Amino acid sequence: MKPLVVRKLIVDERNELFDAQGMRYIEFPSEFEGIRSFTAKVLADCPEHFLEDNLLEQQLSEIIKNGIKHGNGCDPAKRLKVWYDLRKRARFIVEDEGSGFADLENWNDFYLRRQTALYNQDFDAFLALASWRGPKSDDSDGGNSLIAALEYWNGGMIYNGARNKVGVVRWFSHGSD
Amino acid sequence: MEIRLDDVDTTGFETLRVFGECDLYNAQRLTTAAQERLAKGVKRLRIDLSGVNYLDSTGVGAIIRLVQSAKAMGRELRFRGISGTPRKVLVLSNIITILKEDPAEEARA
Repeated sequence: MKPLVVRKLIVDERNELFDAQGMRYIEFPSEFEGIRSFTAKVLADCPEHFLEDNLLEQQLSEIIKNGIKHGNGCDPAKRLKVWYDLRKRARFIVEDEGSGFADLENWNDFYLRRQTALYNQDFDAFLALASWRGPKSDDSDGGNSLIAALEYWNGGMIYNGARNKVGVVRWFSHGSD
Repeated sequence: MEIRLDDVDTTGFETLRVFGECDLYNAQRLTTAAQERLAKGVKRLRIDLSGVNYLDSTGVGAIIRLVQSAKAMGRELRFRGISGTPRKVLVLSNIITILKEDPAEEARA
């Protein structure tokens, strides 16, 4: 039986994923209705094979949603900042103006319990832990976006010290154009 | 997103067919439609996602809630036709492991 390996959300203010040199920049108002169109705008000239049908769009829209909804609380006075680089790999930095992801350690504990239940094939426990429910979760929060994100962003997913900025990278086996 | 209801088939399942994108703006409609059927006493419900081409975390959350509800109510809930990106998203979030899936439907005449 393979050993249980559980990834974690990591805080690292000085991580190289926050080096925005050479990256393109765009910012958006914190409008919930705009989340998918903002995502499409960032990916407008993305190399086709990075898209993986619409998987990249889906994963990026989750990060944009987290920033707009949970970070900025859909406050129209607050902006969401996005740096992006679609050369060689898909790399993004997304920063909101919120107070940061205070429950990050609790989320890591939740994820460890969830994955342990799955590893032990305790499906009743796993089903009960299938979705993260934080203090501000509502019906439109699936509670699983960070779980998929940790798997999808295979080059890293790092939070800054204030936890209101995340850097992510996905590499593709096809390499660059 | 569009949702259509099929009559009970020969296996005793009623089927909700979902079409389009199941995302943060409309996934609640899937929850509502399926919960309505369970509340009406449907004992065997199938959700056919072969027409869904986009599924995000809100859609996955809706699926999780339905699996939890069906289990709590002692109902049988099955899924069919999960492919493409929606399948990848369900694999990334490990949720595919708890879904009972039926084989893909044969092409209709």
